[in-house]
Amino acid sequence: MAIVKMDKISLIGLQRDRNAIIDSLMRMGVVQIEDIDADNSENGLSDLITKSGDEEKVIQLDTQIEKIKAAIDYLSGFGTKKKGFFEAKRVVEKNELNEIIKNESDLWDIVENIDRLNEQLALLRSDENRLSNLIASLEPWENLRIPVEVTSTKYTIVAQGVVPVTADTEALENELAESAPQSYFERVNRDKDQSYISIIYHISCESAVSEILKKYGFSKVSFSGLTGTPAANIANARRQIAEIKEKRKDIQQKIREFAGSKDKLEVLHDYLEIQRDKVKVLSKMAKTDKTFILEGWLPAEKSSEVKSVISQNWECVLEIRPSQEGEDHPILLRNNPLVRPFEIITEMYSLPNSREVDPNAVMAPFYFLFFGMMVSDAGYGLVIALATGIILKKFKLQGMAHKMISLLFFGGISTFIWGALFGGWFGDVVSAVTSGKYTIPPIWFNPLDDPIRLLIWSFIFGALHIFAGMGLKAYMLIKDGKLLDVLFDIIPWYLVLIGLGMLAAGGFIAVIGKYMAIIGAGVLVLTQGRPEKNIIKRLFKGILSLYGVTGYLSDILSYSRLLALGLSTGVVATVINTMGTLFGFNIAGIIIFLVVFIIGTVFNIAINALGAYVHTSRLQYVEFFGKFYEGGGKGYEPFKIKTKYTNININDGRQSK
Amino acid sequence: MNILNALFSGNVLALTGAALAVILAGVGSAKGVGLVGETAAGLVSEEPESFGKVLLLQALPGTQGIYGLLTAFVILNKIGIVGGTAVELTTQQGFLFFMASLPIAIVGYLSAIAQARAAAAGIGIVAKRPEELAKAITFAAMVETYAVLALLASILMVFGIRV
Repeated sequence: MAIVKMDKISLIGLQRDRNAIIDSLMRMGVVQIEDIDADNSENGLSDLITKSGDEEKVIQLDTQIEKIKAAIDYLSGFGTKKKGFFEAKRVVEKNELNEIIKNESDLWDIVENIDRLNEQLALLRSDENRLSNLIASLEPWENLRIPVEVTSTKYTIVAQGVVPVTADTEALENELAESAPQSYFERVNRDKDQSYISIIYHISCESAVSEILKKYGFSKVSFSGLTGTPAANIANARRQIAEIKEKRKDIQQKIREFAGSKDKLEVLHDYLEIQRDKVKVLSKMAKTDKTFILEGWLPAEKSSEVKSVISQNWECVLEIRPSQEGEDHPILLRNNPLVRPFEIITEMYSLPNSREVDPNAVMAPFYFLFFGMMVSDAGYGLVIALATGIILKKFKLQGMAHKMISLLFFGGISTFIWGALFGGWFGDVVSAVTSGKYTIPPIWFNPLDDPIRLLIWSFIFGALHIFAGMGLKAYMLIKDGKLLDVLFDIIPWYLVLIGLGMLAAGGFIAVIGKYMAIIGAGVLVLTQGRPEKNIIKRLFKGILSLYGVTGYLSDILSYSRLLALGLSTGVVATVINTMGTLFGFNIAGIIIFLVVFIIGTVFNIAINALGAYVHTSRLQYVEFFGKFYEGGGKGYEPFKIKTKYTNININDGRQSK
Repeated sequence: MNILNALFSGNVLALTGAALAVILAGVGSAKGVGLVGETAAGLVSEEPESFGKVLLLQALPGTQGIYGLLTAFVILNKIGIVGGTAVELTTQQGFLFFMASLPIAIVGYLSAIAQARAAAAGIGIVAKRPEELAKAITFAAMVETYAVLALLASILMVFGIRV
């Protein structure tokens, strides 16, 4: 259990060496470079130095990276080869990288080409949309035999339009024939919304016709910009769409031809990202005319390596010193592999600050214990442990994902152990299936038979957890040399709480407990008012401090959730088994049982694992951390090579110019 | 009078208790999960990748309904309606079961809704700072404590009743 010791590094070097030094630091990847506050430097250099950094260059590189990324994304659309979700990054050797950088302009041509082709694709797509819409709007008129641009002849007027589907077109036709005999009416089409009609009439009966049309809710349709019959137009548009499809295939084929360059583009992308990071980090440094200054943190065990690499290669002022008391440094945790997965719980709360201890080693066993108690079913534990174990074995997980799955794996093992102790194997599935002929007896006892016993054990585990938290507090106080605080603030509470617990046991133990509690309470009354000068105030404050016992009691009672959630798993599992066996022992019954059992079990595991995670975390955050933990540390993020697609291997130990 | 006698028979009272536990706690959870779901949908429409996180928050007020079902099942099991031979309860025993169901029924209903509010507010945390999910969950889990305590009280009461 430990927070890794950090050393502070300050470096003043010559401008001409700057890029090489940054390069070297990046390759070592252990120094976290800190922002130098140029206006408020502790060295009193504020008059001499200015911030360095090149915003424009960063933006320029960012734009280039975006462009390449877009090209890579287009190419991924043509699925040359699918990459597995957890697959490791491809390693790129120095030669390959140099080759690619040498031919950078070729790659840029490809990026430009892909960009242009993609633009063409977008144009074609909008053309196709336009044509499809045109077809959709002309389709109802397909049977119209008059070219659409004809709206009149010398003596007649030609009109197309629609009336609502509710209008009676036969009545309309009859009325027209009566009032305006010099007219021709045709219903071209009809759909669920409207009727499509075409009318030709002599100019002389214009007013009569328009009167009738108005009555039937006619609205004119015009085909601006089109010539020829609708059918001809539709055919034309379809032909154009077919052509577009051809063209698109061509373009896609052209893009696909670039797919072979995708690997190279990925390398270029990552290379530019590295360049960008190098320029970006400059903004954290300060400079004078001839020199540059950087400050940062690095793990103490790396100090000598960094020191020798830098001072052997370049002339510079380099100071590496251990962090001072009370100085905030970035936090890197280092625990053994059994504890490491549990770090994620602390990380999600807050990293310890640099004056604290790393609580993970103490927290982990309790997390393990409580998670299993809350799920407490041997069958479920096996399922969880097997599923997560296979994932861990099969995929090379990194970072958070790895910790989370490992955490669940340990949780599964703990669940298995507790389940076996309590006799829960998928609830009571054995007894349910054999109608009670066989049961798997619990190794310890069945909480359903004696919940009070488990409740008491929950409180005992809870008290131990809280005592551990107080112990860590005492450890930190001792580390800071505040022995009196330990003697007055922590030990009396141990006496009171343990004494009260023994009081409940009865007999001779209770007598000892009584005196322990009284002594503890006495010390608290006498000492808790220490900061006050006035003796009466001091006593009053001391007595008031005894009220704190309610806080501890409610903390301990909070651990009753261990029992409640443990019972709930078993009972819900029993409900599932009962439902499953309702249909008896026949083929349909067995099939129904399997379906109900599998779905129910998956559901129950998911809900209970979530519940166990949430409530165990809460016990850690509120009851345990509340006793001693401050948090607020910032994570250690060294300046190093960060790439998206590949692992660029430029770790050859020499600096590149 | 016959109806009254039947209504206040031990088994009817015990079943009423079991039903209340499921109904009230279930309605509370349904309301709660729905409430968080509405807020969650708002965030997911902007950031679809936060789905997994907000789903976790949405699931939190759902436990009260399960606790209600659990209590009902323990009661049904105890009076032999599920698995075993049905027991004829006295009116007093029936009232005992009825009372035992009240903690999870009432606290379950109210705490599910209160927890949903905390979880919905937690979605605001996830929207602005996705890395602080654990804190959002903790706020909602604080409320859940009281549902767990009520469940515990109900179950201990049911276990303690002699039939």
